[in-house]
Amino acid sequence: MLKRNALAFLLAVSLPLAAHAGDSYTVDPAHTFPHFTINHLGFSTMHGRFDKTSGKITLDRAAKTGSVDIAIESASVSTGFAKRDEHLKSPDFFNAAEFPSITYKSSSMKFKGDAPVSVEGTLTLLGVSKPVTLTLTEFKCGDNPMSKKPECGAGATAQIKRSDFGMKFGLPGVGDDIKLEFEIEAYKD
Amino acid sequence: MHELLHHPAVQGGLVPFVVALIAAELLQRLRLSGLAVVLGFAATAYLVSGLPFDTLSASHKLVWLGLISPLVAISLGLLNAAWVRPLLAAAGGAAAIWMAEHILQHQVPAAVFLWSAGIALYVGWLVFWMDELQYSPVRAASAGLALGLGTGLAALFGASASLGLYGLSLGAAAGAYLLIQMMTNNRLPCGHSFTLPLSLIAGLIGCLAVLTARLPWYALIALAAIPPVARIPVSERSALWLQSVLLSAATLFCAAVAVYLTWRVAGMPPL
Repeated sequence: MLKRNALAFLLAVSLPLAAHAGDSYTVDPAHTFPHFTINHLGFSTMHGRFDKTSGKITLDRAAKTGSVDIAIESASVSTGFAKRDEHLKSPDFFNAAEFPSITYKSSSMKFKGDAPVSVEGTLTLLGVSKPVTLTLTEFKCGDNPMSKKPECGAGATAQIKRSDFGMKFGLPGVGDDIKLEFEIEAYKD
Repeated sequence: MHELLHHPAVQGGLVPFVVALIAAELLQRLRLSGLAVVLGFAATAYLVSGLPFDTLSASHKLVWLGLISPLVAISLGLLNAAWVRPLLAAAGGAAAIWMAEHILQHQVPAAVFLWSAGIALYVGWLVFWMDELQYSPVRAASAGLALGLGTGLAALFGASASLGLYGLSLGAAAGAYLLIQMMTNNRLPCGHSFTLPLSLIAGLIGCLAVLTARLPWYALIALAAIPPVARIPVSERSALWLQSVLLSAATLFCAAVAVYLTWRVAGMPPL
């Protein structure tokens, strides 16, 4: 009797938890690109992006909770000029051989209505972890008209100082402030 | 002034040259002129990367190992035992593996073994053969000039400017040490304090440039030939400037081969 009561209690507790765990989404690498912009010697603003990104997102719009777990392949950095990309992969900048991944793990998500507006989390770059807030500039969930699969998409921005992560080569000529822009699409699992 | 100190030519050339020139002169009475090379390197490391470091990445380990090595050199120099040279070579090899540990973790086991053996052999070789030159300041300085410039330029062509500047700083500092001898026709004190930091730092830069940038591994063979080539027969009774020119020409040829091999693979350095 005691066992049956305990089982009933566990079921009663776990069912709402499962419902609040939210939907799980897998990042679509074909439509997910982290971009960055950086000042070059005061003359211009250079743009670059990473071509390979993976990760998982969970979202419970009713409970206003969610999580983001993203991994960016640092060797996939691309600026449209191969020689510069080689330099960006070297120990002067992203040090891709030693730190092949750049990661972002969320700690909390803020909502306005049922749509997320910002994500608090930790960015790990060159082995250094610092808190970074992503501000969402757009957000939409629905069925993809081509694949007919349910998916969510978002745009997000953040601002970091590369010197905070130990990336000090070329300062101050090559700017310290980096603007990050993400476009993310993720299919429901 | 601030902008001037951020110029690569100043960071990797002028500053280490001037620091080494002053240090070699000032430390002559203490018979520690050999420290000029590591002081020049330290000045460049401070300007290029800033000290201290937040994390212990491979390039940060390289700098720390380089800065600590004179303490080992001075301590072991007091012993003057036959086993010191092989011990230093073995320690240099171990230091190379420790430096590259985090990079090697991302490789498959067979590659880890090959890279570990290769980088340990390269650094151990340089440390051993440079140590052979510790009683010949002109030969050691000529080899240091070529090893620094060769390693620095090859790393620069291999797409890592910071490693390139580290290497060039060794060449500039060794060049200052050599210049004093050429100008005064007097040999400066040398010893482990010159040969160990120079060979260790140059060796580690070469390994790191191969592992993380585009320096081809076979360019290291040309660089490894520099210390043995610095032992070619040159009359010890001739003027020091003449010895310096002949030895530098021979060793710089090896450095040029290494730079050429890197240029063939990687092309011009990024701007």
